[in-house]
Amino acid sequence: MIHTTTDDAGITVIRPGFERLTAANAKAFKDDVTAIIEGGEAQLVVDFKDVSFVDSSGLGALVGVLKKIGYRGDLAVSGLNADVAQMFKICRMDRVFKTHASVNDAVEKMAENL
Amino acid sequence: MQNDLNDVDRTVVSLKAFVDEVLDQSGLFKFEVCASEALTNLVKHAKTDDTTAPIKIELTETPAAVILRVFDPVGAARFDLRDHAQSLDDVDPLAESGRGLGLIMQCADHADYAPQGDRMCLSLKFSKLETDQ
Repeated sequence: MIHTTTDDAGITVIRPGFERLTAANAKAFKDDVTAIIEGGEAQLVVDFKDVSFVDSSGLGALVGVLKKIGYRGDLAVSGLNADVAQMFKICRMDRVFKTHASVNDAVEKMAENL
Repeated sequence: MQNDLNDVDRTVVSLKAFVDEVLDQSGLFKFEVCASEALTNLVKHAKTDDTTAPIKIELTETPAAVILRVFDPVGAARFDLRDHAQSLDDVDPLAESGRGLGLIMQCADHADYAPQGDRMCLSLKFSKLETDQ
């Protein structure tokens, strides 16, 4: 179950709500975020601060969300721990997603580009 | 382990706890990735007549390595991931699937797939710390 907050600039921070984003919950995550996008939100930060592990299905769901946003908005990720950052790196996802150390950094950078 | 995606995470965390003091941080990461991807792949793709049959897993420690063995269900079609894994460099960055097997091949120090008794078995080897060898 994801948790979201949207600020005055229209930037929505999403916390996956799972300690592990894997095949067991990746589809639910993608479906929940897709519903948010279809509800009109398109400036998204996914904060992984409380996520300890992401598998290839979790990354696939994130890619699906990125494609859903398309050119309508922006997607960044924040708070990757060492293992999750390594997973992004070996799957070349560090070349696909904008990553930030903290959710505040991500929101600040996204706001500058609005 | 139950043949159920919802049982994969619990099993992986449990397996990782067994090797927590045997592998270094990098080795633990690779072990967790491989265990998660291998078990997920098995649950999603290995077809069996008896879906309630548990999945057999063995974890062995040798002086130099940890070996994870995951057994296909009896009667499941042979699937050698070494023949199907795609290099992570060759995966479309915007693909939503297709990375799991490549991850296993990249993260395991050695992968083997061979018959053991009446079923096929995927063996994944992870080298221990050099100081332990």
